[in-house]
Amino acid sequence: MAQVKRIEPDLQFIKEMQAAGGESLKKCYQCATCSVVCPLSPEENPYPRKEMIWAQWGLKDKLVGDLDMWLCHNCGTCSDQCPRGAKPADLMAAMRNMAYQNVAQPTIMGKFMSSSKYLPILAGIPALIFLIAWFVTSGFFGLPLDENGQVLYRLVFPQTAFIDPLFGLIMVAVIVIFIRGILSLIKTFNDSPQAPIGGVPVLTVLKSTWQVIIDEILSHTKWKECGGDNNDRYFGHMGIFFGFVGLFIVTAYVGVAYWLGVFTGWDLMTPMSLWNPFKILANIASIALIVGLILVTKRRLNLDDSKFKSSYYDWYLLGVIWVVTLSGMFSQLLRLANVPAVAYPMYYIHLVSIFMLFAYLPWSKLAHLVYRTVALGYARHIGRSPKPQA
Amino acid sequence: MEHSGILVVGGGFSGITAALEAAEVGHEVFIVEKGSYLGGRVSQLNQYFPKLCPPSCGLEINFQRIKNNPKVKFFTMAEVVSVTGTPGNYTAKVKLSPRYVNTNCTGCDKCSQVCPVETDSEFELGLAKRKAIYRPHLASFPLRYVIDPVVCLGKSCSKCVEACSYDAVELDDREKEITLNVGSVIWATGWKPYDPKKLEILGAGTIKNAITNMQMERLASPSGPTSGQITRPSDGKAPERIAFVQCAGSRDESHLPYCSYICCMASLKQVTYLRAQYPDAEIVIYYIDIRTPGRYDKFLQRIREDEKVLMVKGKVAQVTEDGATGDVLVMAEDIIQGLKKEERFNMVVLATGMEPSVAGTTLPAGMQQDDDGFCISQENGVFSAGCAKMPLDVMRSAQTATGAALKAIQTVVGR
Repeated sequence: MAQVKRIEPDLQFIKEMQAAGGESLKKCYQCATCSVVCPLSPEENPYPRKEMIWAQWGLKDKLVGDLDMWLCHNCGTCSDQCPRGAKPADLMAAMRNMAYQNVAQPTIMGKFMSSSKYLPILAGIPALIFLIAWFVTSGFFGLPLDENGQVLYRLVFPQTAFIDPLFGLIMVAVIVIFIRGILSLIKTFNDSPQAPIGGVPVLTVLKSTWQVIIDEILSHTKWKECGGDNNDRYFGHMGIFFGFVGLFIVTAYVGVAYWLGVFTGWDLMTPMSLWNPFKILANIASIALIVGLILVTKRRLNLDDSKFKSSYYDWYLLGVIWVVTLSGMFSQLLRLANVPAVAYPMYYIHLVSIFMLFAYLPWSKLAHLVYRTVALGYARHIGRSPKPQA
Repeated sequence: MEHSGILVVGGGFSGITAALEAAEVGHEVFIVEKGSYLGGRVSQLNQYFPKLCPPSCGLEINFQRIKNNPKVKFFTMAEVVSVTGTPGNYTAKVKLSPRYVNTNCTGCDKCSQVCPVETDSEFELGLAKRKAIYRPHLASFPLRYVIDPVVCLGKSCSKCVEACSYDAVELDDREKEITLNVGSVIWATGWKPYDPKKLEILGAGTIKNAITNMQMERLASPSGPTSGQITRPSDGKAPERIAFVQCAGSRDESHLPYCSYICCMASLKQVTYLRAQYPDAEIVIYYIDIRTPGRYDKFLQRIREDEKVLMVKGKVAQVTEDGATGDVLVMAEDIIQGLKKEERFNMVVLATGMEPSVAGTTLPAGMQQDDDGFCISQENGVFSAGCAKMPLDVMRSAQTATGAALKAIQTVVGR
C-alpha cells in the first residue's frame, strides 16, 4: 500500500495565488468540466482541474513545479464553461504570474513587478538615468540641433558613449538571468512527478525547444488549436510577435552597422533614409505592432468580468508595449517634422519605456517568451504536448 | 365578507395532497389545474424511489378521495388570472380554456381513431405521437378526452364529432371565466424538466439516443411508448452500455444554479429499471457528488454492489453523436484517476433538474419568488407547497403540502 501522505497546506500561498489573479479559486467544486472542454489539455492528468484543487489546498510545491501552466494558452474556454464562476483560466494565469515573480533572480524584482504600487520606482529608475544623460550632454532640457538645423537624437543620448553600453549591459544581464532561470525551471520540471526517471538533460530540452520554435511558435499553431473565437488573440499576438521580430532585426542591424561605421569610417549612421530597406521593415513592423496591440487590448477591455479578470501583469506589459510603440512612432514623425521641443521629450519617453520593457523583462509577463518556450520544449520531449499535426 | 374556502393552484401530487388534507377536515377547496388531467409530473413516473412501486396506485387512491369528497371541487384546463384581496378574503379570477369534450365522454377512443392529425405527445415527452383529439394518458383523471386547438383542423374536418356516439365533442366550446371567493391560497404549481436544448456541450437536445431522465421514466413505464421496453429511440435496439450524466444543467451558474435533490436518486432508480431488463448491461454514472440524503444512502449502497455499475467522479462536459451507429460519445475526466477519456455508449441519460413551472412569471396576491423562480410562502394567507417551493421528492412534496394545508386552515378557521 502506498504510504499515506500528509498534506501540508500553505495558507499564505493560497492568499498569494488569489492576489496574483486567482481570486475565485475557492469556488471550484471539482467537477472537471474545465479539463474536458480545454482544447489543449492532454488525456493523462489533464489541467486545469488538478491545479484548482492544488491551489485550494495550498500545495505550493505542486503548483510551482507544474509544467502545465505553460501548456495553457489562456483561450478561456474553461472559465466560459465553468459552472461555478471559479475562473480556472485566471488561476493558470496567476500561476504564471507567480512564476514571473519567483523564477528569475533577484526575486525582489519580481516583487516590484507584482503590484502597481511599485510602478513609480520602476519608472523612476530609467527616468532618472536618461534625465541625467540629457543634462550631461545638453544641459538642463537642452534641445541641440545638428549642422543642418535638424533634430538628431544622438546629440542628446549618444550611442557610443551611452545608449549602446547601457542597453548592452542590460542585454548581458538579462541573458545571464534568463539562463539561470531556464536552468532552475528545468530543474523544477525534473523534480515534478511528471518527469521521466532521472529527468531530462538540459541540452535535450533545448533541442526540443528549438523544434518547438520552428514548427509551433513561428506558425502560432497552439493558438489555432485553442479553437473557438480566438481570432483576436491569434492575429493580435501574431502582430505583436512579428512586429517585435522585425524590430529586433532592425535594431540588430543598426547596432552592427553603427559599430562597423565607427571602426571603418563608412557612413552607416542613423537616422536611416525612409527608403532604406531596414527602415521600411521597421515601419512595417511598427504598424503590425499597433494592429496587434489594438486587437489584444480591445479583447481584454471587452472581457466578461464574471468570467475573466485581467491582472496587473497583463496591463503592465500591454501598457509598456503601447508606450514603446507609440513613442517610437511619434519620435520618428516629430524628428521628420523637426519639432525639437516635443521630439526630444518624446524620444526620452521612448527610451524610458524601452528600459522598462527590457531591463525588467525576466520578471514581467513578457518573460513567457523564454519560460513558455522552454516548457513547451520540455513538454514535447516527454510527450505531454505533441508535435502539431501537419 | 370573509371566506373559509381554500384555493389550491396546481393539481399535481402536492396540490391534491394539500386540497385533500384541508377538505377532509371540513374545508371547501378548489383545485385549479392548468393541464387536462390531475396528477401532474408524478403520473409520468414509472416507479417511485426508494420502494420502487408504481405511482398509479397512490394517485388512484387520491382520485378516489377526491371523487368521494363533495368539499373538493377541481377545474382542469384552468388558469388563475388574478388573485386580489387580503387573508380571509381573496377573490380569484380563473380562466377555463375550452376542452371541446363534455362530460358525456366515456373514453371509447372512437374519436381519436378517426382523427387525421398527429403531433408529438407532451406526456410522452416527444417519444410518441398523439392525435388532435386524445386522452392525455392511459389512466388520466378525469376520464375525458381533450382537443388540442393548435393542431385540430376544426369544423372543416369534424370527423370526431361524427364518430362520437354520445354527443361528447363540442367544437364550438369557448373560453370561460369564473370567480372564486376564498380565505387562503396554496401555490402548488410544481416543476418542469430543464430544457436539454439549452445544454449546448451536452448535445443541445439533438442527439436521439441521449434522452432525459423523464424520458427514461416514460420508456420504462408499461404505459409508455415502448410498453416498458427500454430501447434506443433511434432504432429500437437494446442498449448494452448506458451512461448517466448527473447534474446535466444543475449546480451550474449558466443553467440551474441549485441542486435539484432528486436526480441522483432518480438515476440510481433507473439503474434498477435497466438491470431488471438487461442483466449484463454495463452502466456508468458520471457525477460530481452522489447526493442520496438520509435513508436514501441505503439505496446507493445497494446499487454500488452491482459489479457492472461503475461510478465515475467527474462531470461529463462533452456529448456527441456517432452518426453511423447512433452511439453516443461521452467525455469526462475521472478525477480519482486523473484521466480524461471519451467513452462510447449505446444510450445516455441526461439527469436534468427541476425548474419551477412559474419561473420567469410574476405571480398574483403578492406571492414572492426567489431568483430561481421558487415560491416563497408569505405566511399571511398565501402559501407554497411541493416543488413550487423547492426541489423535492414525492414524499417531501406531500409533507410540505400537508404543512401548507395546515397554514391555510389556520388562516381561514373561525372566519
